Amino acid sequence: MIKTTNLSKHFKNETAIDYRDLVFEDGKSYMLLGASGCGKSTLLNMIAGILSPDSGSIEIAGVEMSAKPQKQKDKFRINKIGYIFQDFKLIPEMSVIDNINILRLENVDTSAADEVLDSLGILDKKHKKVKNLSGGERQRVAIARAIVKKPDIILADEPTGNLNFAIGEAVIKQLIEISKGKTLIAVTHDDRLSKYFDCTIDMNHVTGGRRDV
Amino acid sequence: MFKFAIKNMAIKRVKIILIVISIVISASVALLAYNISEQVDDGFKSTAAYYDIIIGPAGSSTQLAMNTMFFTDKPLGTISYEYVEKLDSDMRINAVVPFTMGDSFNGAKIVGTTPLFLDGKELAAGEMFGEKFECVIGSGVAKKYGLSLGDELITSHGLSEGGASHDANPLKVVGILYRTNTSYDNVIFTALETVWATHDHSASEDHGDHEEETGESSAPAGHAEGGHGGVIDGGNGSEEESDHDHDHGEVCAILVKTKSFNHYNAVRSEYGEDSKLLVINPAEVLREVLENVDMSSKIVYILCVIILIMNIFIISVITLLNMYDSKKEIALMRLIGIGMGKINMLYILQNAIIGLVSTLLAFGTSRLCLMLMGEYVASMGIVLNSARIYPFEHVIMAVIFAISVIPTIICTLNMSRKDGLSE
Repeated sequence: MIKTTNLSKHFKNETAIDYRDLVFEDGKSYMLLGASGCGKSTLLNMIAGILSPDSGSIEIAGVEMSAKPQKQKDKFRINKIGYIFQDFKLIPEMSVIDNINILRLENVDTSAADEVLDSLGILDKKHKKVKNLSGGERQRVAIARAIVKKPDIILADEPTGNLNFAIGEAVIKQLIEISKGKTLIAVTHDDRLSKYFDCTIDMNHVTGGRRDV
Repeated sequence: MFKFAIKNMAIKRVKIILIVISIVISASVALLAYNISEQVDDGFKSTAAYYDIIIGPAGSSTQLAMNTMFFTDKPLGTISYEYVEKLDSDMRINAVVPFTMGDSFNGAKIVGTTPLFLDGKELAAGEMFGEKFECVIGSGVAKKYGLSLGDELITSHGLSEGGASHDANPLKVVGILYRTNTSYDNVIFTALETVWATHDHSASEDHGDHEEETGESSAPAGHAEGGHGGVIDGGNGSEEESDHDHDHGEVCAILVKTKSFNHYNAVRSEYGEDSKLLVINPAEVLREVLENVDMSSKIVYILCVIILIMNIFIISVITLLNMYDSKKEIALMRLIGIGMGKINMLYILQNAIIGLVSTLLAFGTSRLCLMLMGEYVASMGIVLNSARIYPFEHVIMAVIFAISVIPTIICTLNMSRKDGLSE
């Protein structure tokens, strides 16, 4: 379970976002909807330990994470969290498998790579360079890298943002399928996809948008 | 990690090859500049002035010293062998070595002398020349022309290629000197009588041809023009004067070792009174030459320092630019959870590989250049040994390696203070 309490994040442009308390239950899928700048991605980054909240706490599986040193947050992220970035965060000149095997630098087991790529329908692209793949294929590679380590939590920031609706819908369906039994929190603008998630959270109501500091 | 580092470098191979080339060029220039300046300096210093007097025809003292000790330039001319005989019978003198030069083999100069001239030099094979037309060759000559014991050399008139060949009097190789890394490596040594006999024969065969020669100067033993077997011949080694037939009884210089300082002063003063002779102390002349070389060395050292500073700057900039290009990649790795420790290690490893390969290639390039330049420098009496490594060269290589890695550490440490989203 992920529990956020009194979260607040300040930005360099002298604005801040205050979050209402949230609870994400284990094994459920959540869709975060909301306008741009309402704090959806910031929330994911704070849960992932990429950003630290300025106040409040984030408890994951009963452990307070927000106050931990960055090294521990990084370790937790690479072992327990599968993060799918909006712009994929892949190395274009590297092959699909090398983009997945980059996790081995932190001794993450990627032996299930073939199986995962097969389940996403891109096993035949395993040795292709990412720069030669389509947007949908790249998104699947990003998903494969996120789930190959069998994480407990999957965070997806606009996983369909660069895809057309049909492909985006297919990607979401696959994501939901392979996330069964895990906690999935996905940020998206498209409320047509909400039917695939267990729960939809309107972030406009959670934060009320940015305020000046 | 090593495997990933190699893969990561492979995808940027064009950029990395360019970086390596840049480092190799600048680093090899630094290594080469330092090594050459040291070897040139050593070359002068290692030629010990065993003889305290050199007597030759009047002219330039530097030319006389450089010609007899480093075999550079042309002889000043010739003087009569009678001087040798006179000095030989002088009780004040320990050793007298006649010296003559005027012929060559494919550009390698031939020195007519006595075995005493090679005293202290060890033979790698064979024995010292004794009979007429026997010769001992320097290791460089043996290597360059693939000569071995028993081979015969057709020498030619003059100190460079293209002179009239002495087909009738080939020299037989009876000994090969050990490599000395001095000008001795590039010279052929034979008996004085061989040079005289060669030219007696040539003179009788083609006297007319020689008289017509106007090209390369040679001032070997003898000068038959006018048949003056007098005391002095030659003078300043000018082409007109030194282009001549050779007669028995003349040498280009005489190297003398006196028994004591008093004897040295007396002999020097006695022969120095003869205005047609030049009497020098080779150590004094070398010291004067070295003073000029020292000045040149200082300039070279200053240039070396400038080159090194420029190299440090260039290599640091190249490494920093390389790291700047990698910022996105580092940020990406940080976002997916790879710790800065691992990222630091990865980039330090990559840049260490680049630094190591570049340093080794720079070292190899500098040695290759030394080998290629060796022949050119040999003509100036200095033999460059491409295997010679000076301790400071290790320092230069260590600095090159360090500046390939240190900017990486600075850059990654700087990035570790930011979160992955900042890039």
